[in-house]
Amino acid sequence: MTTTSILNAASNADRGPPAWTRWLDLGDRALGVVLLAPAAILLALIIVYPVLRLGYTSFFSLSLTSGLPAEFVGLENYSLMLEDPVFWETTWNTVLITLITVPGALLVGLALALLANLPFGVQWPVRLSLLIPWALPLSFAGLIFAWFFHSEYGVVNDVLVRLGFEGIIWFNSPNWAFAAICLTIVWKTSSFMALIILAGLQTIPRSLYEAADVDGAGRVRQFFEITLPLLKPSIVVALIFRTITALQTFDIPYMMTGGGPGTSTSTLAMYIHQNTVSFLDLGYGSALAVVMFALSMCVTAVYLRAIRTKE
Amino acid sequence: MSAVAAPGLSGLLSGRPLRFLAGAVLIVNGMFPALWILFTSLKTEAELTAKPITWVPHAPTLANYMQAFSDQPLHLFLFNSFMVALLSTCLTLLVSVLAAYALARLDLRYRGLILSLIIAVSTFPLVTLLVPLFEIMRTLNLLNTWVALVLPYTVLSLPVCTLMLVSFFEGIPRDLENAAMIDGCTRLGALFKVVVPLCAPGVFTAGILAFVNAWDEFLLALSFNSNPALRTLPVGIQLYQGEFAFPWPVISAALVVGIVPVAVLIVIFQERVVSGLTAGGIKG
Amino acid sequence: MNIRTMASVFAATSVLAFSMPAFADTDLKIFVSSQHQPDVWRKVLDKYEAANPGVKVAIETGGNTSEAQAQYLNTVMSAKDTNLDVLMLDVIRPAQYAAAGWTSAFENKDMSVYLPAYAGANTVDGKVVALPAFADAMFLYYRKDLLEKYGIAPPKTWEELAAAAKKVAEGEKNPDLQGLSFQGKAIEGAVCTFLLPYWSQGKNLVENGKLTFDHDAAVTALKLWKDFVDTGVAKKNIAEVATDDTRKEFQAGSAVFAVNWSYAWTHFQGAESAVTGKVGVTRLPALGGGEQASCLGGWEWGVSAYSTHQDEAKKLVEYLSSEDVSVFMAANGSLLPTYAAAYGNNEVLKAVPWFADALQVVETAKPRPVTPRYNEVSEVIRTTVNAVLAGVTTPEDGASQIEARLKRILR
Repeated sequence: MTTTSILNAASNADRGPPAWTRWLDLGDRALGVVLLAPAAILLALIIVYPVLRLGYTSFFSLSLTSGLPAEFVGLENYSLMLEDPVFWETTWNTVLITLITVPGALLVGLALALLANLPFGVQWPVRLSLLIPWALPLSFAGLIFAWFFHSEYGVVNDVLVRLGFEGIIWFNSPNWAFAAICLTIVWKTSSFMALIILAGLQTIPRSLYEAADVDGAGRVRQFFEITLPLLKPSIVVALIFRTITALQTFDIPYMMTGGGPGTSTSTLAMYIHQNTVSFLDLGYGSALAVVMFALSMCVTAVYLRAIRTKE
Repeated sequence: MSAVAAPGLSGLLSGRPLRFLAGAVLIVNGMFPALWILFTSLKTEAELTAKPITWVPHAPTLANYMQAFSDQPLHLFLFNSFMVALLSTCLTLLVSVLAAYALARLDLRYRGLILSLIIAVSTFPLVTLLVPLFEIMRTLNLLNTWVALVLPYTVLSLPVCTLMLVSFFEGIPRDLENAAMIDGCTRLGALFKVVVPLCAPGVFTAGILAFVNAWDEFLLALSFNSNPALRTLPVGIQLYQGEFAFPWPVISAALVVGIVPVAVLIVIFQERVVSGLTAGGIKG
Repeated sequence: MNIRTMASVFAATSVLAFSMPAFADTDLKIFVSSQHQPDVWRKVLDKYEAANPGVKVAIETGGNTSEAQAQYLNTVMSAKDTNLDVLMLDVIRPAQYAAAGWTSAFENKDMSVYLPAYAGANTVDGKVVALPAFADAMFLYYRKDLLEKYGIAPPKTWEELAAAAKKVAEGEKNPDLQGLSFQGKAIEGAVCTFLLPYWSQGKNLVENGKLTFDHDAAVTALKLWKDFVDTGVAKKNIAEVATDDTRKEFQAGSAVFAVNWSYAWTHFQGAESAVTGKVGVTRLPALGGGEQASCLGGWEWGVSAYSTHQDEAKKLVEYLSSEDVSVFMAANGSLLPTYAAAYGNNEVLKAVPWFADALQVVETAKPRPVTPRYNEVSEVIRTTVNAVLAGVTTPEDGASQIEARLKRILR
């Protein structure tokens, strides 16, 4: 029984409440409404209503610094967006970060999990070192790694120099700055992936491997034919949330480079924040937010479809 | 927790020294920044910009910690963060347990749709909802209260926790609840007396997830709780930074103080967390 | 754990949560950065409360950088919050706040009592929207001892400065000694980095709200700094250097010249400084035959348009920006006064003797463009300066980029 089976809306369990449901004599439907109500109310208040407000505002030209009242302009904000080079650049940066850090975190997480799965005598130091990166607040991680990558006082260059290479001025170059940001994000998120994968690894019964040994399959083949397939469901769930978070990347580039040099490391979430809170262009900022939402929804839909067809 | 399997590596990397190496890699990777902050918090300002850079402080000092507590009301930040995180964790668990139960047990027509919706709304970054949310909190007169933060933080963790708990609940056979109800329990009673305790690892995991999410959040805390008596830790730590100055040693000390509670919680619950992710959590 | 216990625990904590006490019973609330000496302002406010019974003033402190404060205030004011009555604003903000309708104007205020630059910075569309709290400007700090050693007079032009730096470098043979430290990071200060040589050529960026961009002057301005990097006068990773980095390095004795604000002086003379007594301060150099320009800083008092106590708030602000308070803050908080006469005041000179030299700099400092869309202007200039100094963009391309983007913003 998996989470995914629910998503297939399969009626895989017994239907109907037992005859002795005495709690207000409610049927499944009514009870369901009551149980889901708190979640629904919270979501409506915190997400749905603000999103609708945002969507509404996106059809207006509303810039607080213009001193003019809001003016209905239909889709003008969206057409301005299409001609805005910064919009394209930040969207591209966001997509690139997603494409790099999601598989990156997966691979590194997989490696870490495999290492962590070795029979250690004492488990807790290993677990702690997987959990600490995840528990560290994003903004702090950004600050710390910005200092690590400092060209003069940073640890990274210190190590490079000791190894005989030349130090790099990380934040002088768009590519190196981007690399620094991706490295930081991968470091931070791979530990959560590792946790999930480790959990999955530890539920695979030994007997499967023993049977494979008997059949003469090598370690590598066992990995690809036993381990990976059985890990798939955990990996998929982790990937969904990781991808959504990657599209929303804000804290780390904000703290590390502020989007620089130029706008080469700025993300869509940063651009939205800048337009809304700094430039006070609420109309345009709302339109950008709606586009980001649409982007995330598309990605989620793709994932959900991929899960469905697999089952 | 089920027996440690032996996939992939341990055949290649058997033996003590290689296990030691693996352990070292893991610990360095995970703990390095935390250790670095720890070392920095023991250094003086001058040592920080000395060249060549020093790793371990030459003359460790606790002065930064004293300053961290005297420059800002760090204990107050800790208290506020703790209360907000605790309250939102409780609320998150309550709401997601109820919702997960509904989705796992009841025959609802739109189960798949509802779950997809719950995931979908988490795709909206709170960063972009800042201004509308602030207006809502202001209208409800909730600014500068813990509740103003507890509500959004609950929503932040709701999707992940619900998803996790759904798969846990599905793993519990219905007969157990039915037995409880024969004995005179109400449906909700069975939920809380039978199902939840059996899913304790999952509940703990969801709880830690919610707690950490709430502990780490910065932007909303900055905007909603401007009253100095109600500031949370991430916001408070920003205050050590001056218009021009960035006192790394003092900030590091504050960071250490901020991470320690979470780390302690993690060490205490790590057994449960990993077993939570293991036992029936998100598996095949 | 049964549901009843859980529910009652939850209810109890909820009650606590909802009943957190509101901030102390006050009439007026002013918003000050905790880096700008709120404890000294408190004394001034106590005096005011004593002189005005029935009025209580509470200080709320916010984020510590201009950026963090702006973020917070922007959110709060966008939602028309009535909580704050008086706001302390960075000198670059009044135009934006006035345009957004967040500040109330002061009627019939004679701005000629203040230093002239502040009249300009606080007047938008002919209306006075804020009154000065304290002043600031950018100075050229230099190592008196090193210049004396090599018989060099404090430079009056950037060319002289480059030559001086070279001479000292050749003499000292210290690879860690920088010639000049300035701000190349994409912070607000980088806008000043661009404007200093631009203004020096007699050009203004914005006149009467309209863009007056001189492409060649912009290229020259950007080239000046890039050349410093290329010839080794400034260090290669200058694009990483923020205001306090410059301060720290000069304080540690690693730079001959430094461009920085007034706060640095106290640090240079402090106990942890390696250069105590060896520091000279003067006006920033000019470009070739141009004028010596400096960048205006400082903070202003504005009255929130959403305050429910307009008259009392305005009265308070008039008091806070009066000469007496200015003198008090200078003597007790080392904040530069906004009244020319205060620089000669005995009390002030006893506490901060160097202010006597500071007057000539503050008097001739120029404000950054006064426009409601300043945040966007600032973003364009500082990211381009950063890109040029990082070697990612050439000065010519940088100037063109600034021109194109500013044209879109300041139509």
